[in-house]
Amino acid sequence: MAAVLDGDRKATADFVALYSDPIYRYLRSRLFPRAELAEDLLQDVFLAAWSALSHFRGDAPLKLWLLGIARHKVEEHYRGRLRDSELYDNEEEPGPALEPDLDERLDQERLEQKMRAVLAALPEAYRTVLLWRYWEARSTREIAEMTNKTEKAIERLLARARAHFKLRWNHE
Amino acid sequence: MQRNDAAFARLAKAIEPIEPEDCASSSRLKSRIYSALMRQAASAGPLRSLAETKAEGHGLCLWEELVRISPLPAGYKRLNLCHLCHARVLGEAMENAPLPWKDCPYAKFQKG
Repeated sequence: MAAVLDGDRKATADFVALYSDPIYRYLRSRLFPRAELAEDLLQDVFLAAWSALSHFRGDAPLKLWLLGIARHKVEEHYRGRLRDSELYDNEEEPGPALEPDLDERLDQERLEQKMRAVLAALPEAYRTVLLWRYWEARSTREIAEMTNKTEKAIERLLARARAHFKLRWNHE
Repeated sequence: MQRNDAAFARLAKAIEPIEPEDCASSSRLKSRIYSALMRQAASAGPLRSLAETKAEGHGLCLWEELVRISPLPAGYKRLNLCHLCHARVLGEAMENAPLPWKDCPYAKFQKG
């Protein structure tokens, strides 16, 4: 990494070639279905990594360090989306959020297709809070703190998001 | 409530919401990132000289090699030459861009 910091063209090209795909894959999965956003954030991740590279101590693999920066960027995006949103407080509850059935008749590929279709069809705040809570495994308290909302407000948003997800899941 | 929470956690663990073909970033994107990093590095100070890069065991593209062996002042050999190269323009704009130069970073990204 010293060569990258020293402005070595080839080392920098190797750095991009080696790490852009795994970081991009992570960003795509967390910013679904916004592919263009994943592209923008991938560049931000590399620029932030370059600026902070002198602080990289090497006690964890570089890929994990980069994924940490990517996670930070994703959460910055989530925070912006939820902080600026009204959290649909005036919307009527769509009914109890039931457990989504993992239909065993569907193979993995069909399940993945269904998941993409359902998530893509959800309002952005619902999709964001579901991705943040379950795919990023953040607690409601953490999400509340990062968005300056109350934990109760996040729980209500999650309940609505789950209910909408369930409704769409059953109709797909 | 907790049952729902656990069910969704299981669902998230079982299924990632991206398609397998979405795994790779495009060569155009890699090219743009490389260009941005080199701009950032060049704005922070002179780049590593072409002679040092070659001494490290890296290959130089045809144009870099010409600059390396030319009688230009040393400072020129630390400039961001890629910024002036048409390979950058092609690499940033096209997938499978026709870039036949060996050891050109933008050609490297095209190969995936």
